[in-house]
Amino acid sequence: MIDRFRFIVNETWASLRGNLAMQVAAISTACIALILLGSAAMALYKLDALAQSLPNAFEASVFLHTTVSRAQTLKLKAEIEAMPEVAQVVLVPREVAWEQEKQKYKDEVNLADLPNPLPDKLIVRVHQAETLPAVSARIAQSSLVDEVIDSQAELEMVLGAARLVRWVGLGTGGLLLLSALLLIYNAVRLTIHARQHEVQVMALVGATLRSIRLPFVLEGMVQGLLGGIIAALITVLSAGLLSEYMVSQWPLLKDMPPGLPPGVVLVGVPILGMVLGGLCASWATLRYVRI
Amino acid sequence: MRSETTKAMVELKGVSVAFGEQYALRRVNLKVEAGEFVFLVGATGAGKSTLFKLLYGALRPTEGEVWVLGQPVHRLKPRELPYLRRRMGIIPQNYPLLSHKTVWENIAYGLRAIGYSEQAVRQRVAQMLALVGLNEQARQYPHQLSGGEAQRAAIARALANNPPLLIADEPTANLDPDTSWEIIELLLRINLRGTTVIVSTHNRTIVDRACQRVVAIDRGQIISDVPRGGYPIELERLYPSVAL
Repeated sequence: MIDRFRFIVNETWASLRGNLAMQVAAISTACIALILLGSAAMALYKLDALAQSLPNAFEASVFLHTTVSRAQTLKLKAEIEAMPEVAQVVLVPREVAWEQEKQKYKDEVNLADLPNPLPDKLIVRVHQAETLPAVSARIAQSSLVDEVIDSQAELEMVLGAARLVRWVGLGTGGLLLLSALLLIYNAVRLTIHARQHEVQVMALVGATLRSIRLPFVLEGMVQGLLGGIIAALITVLSAGLLSEYMVSQWPLLKDMPPGLPPGVVLVGVPILGMVLGGLCASWATLRYVRI
Repeated sequence: MRSETTKAMVELKGVSVAFGEQYALRRVNLKVEAGEFVFLVGATGAGKSTLFKLLYGALRPTEGEVWVLGQPVHRLKPRELPYLRRRMGIIPQNYPLLSHKTVWENIAYGLRAIGYSEQAVRQRVAQMLALVGLNEQARQYPHQLSGGEAQRAAIARALANNPPLLIADEPTANLDPDTSWEIIELLLRINLRGTTVIVSTHNRTIVDRACQRVVAIDRGQIISDVPRGGYPIELERLYPSVAL
């Protein structure tokens, strides 16, 4: 068994070594394609998480003036609850909100000694999303209300960005991946051609088709795996650096939901490359390795 | 109708091979028993190589049946062919040694490809080198060998799995007369050890000297089958036009 394994590994190594320029081309193209796909996947995950974190389409936040008393707030809350379109109204008292903010920014700035600048907030949920703009407009007419924010615009913006990333990232990455797969296919095909005497010898002495084809399939898997490993490292490192830079420029971005865990990219992208490389190489061997 | 199995080492029953309108073989019947040494003779393009390819399943007959070692080669699936080939030593025409491997490695390569352990490989390669007289050349590369030595190495590689049947397509092509006869002597010795040998050639001198069974093929048809010892007088009398 060990001897058999050694023979297969030796044959795979001979295949990889024999056609270095083509190997480099296949691995580097696979790498670039997987970087694009990996980055697109990370961006989509982040945008999706951001969309999830936004108030949904059934919800509006009503910020009152800071001068409004708690009794006035409760009266307004009751009035809004009485509206037939409204399903629920939740009060976020200004002192609770302020406590949350102090906790959130405790590492950056000391807010303990400052007076509370926040107003009371009412979170209004409606039964049907299409009634939200009208309900928001009615609530905004109250003299107690400073601002009504429903998340429609933000949600549209995030979803638009997600659509852009999906089409551009996945489209470009997909096309490059197709090129990479064709290059892997071609590299394996050339290797088969270069090693046709070995294939002929193996076929005539009675080696099974599977054992003749396996080294070539492994060659494709190694190409995909190497491309995937390099791509995953570059993607994770670049994403980390970009994220750090953006937070240093816009500290509020720290509140953004976390992105795709690096471990998922570091494991997933190489596995994806390896599987796709193996499939391409299998396709080439099915066509060109016969007995 | 289901064909009956055969106990002959090789049996062709009404075999034809056509490429479009052209027939490479036409209604060929041939039976080779275990332990025989058979020369398959004929001019270039007569159909010798086609017949050999049928034996190891590289070609399928257009019609008829091909039985080798009791196996119906004409209906074996591709995945079943390797197990038949492990019981055959095959030396096709233009069957080069692997140029980047030594003689020792060339013989070992085939054994490793079919799953021999490293210990068994070492043992079998040593036996084969002794059999074909290439102990001195074991570490040499193919370009360092003479034509005869390279052919002996190819024979060693084909025999390494100890097959009961050896088929060699033109093993003396491009060799001088003395070296050609050395190769035939080696094949005769292998035959004496019990291996059935089928050799194609158009070298008349060696066929004359060997005095073995001679099957003559011309334009895809067997035109004579002279038993051991009957050649050349009978063949020349019956078919003076056969080009050897």
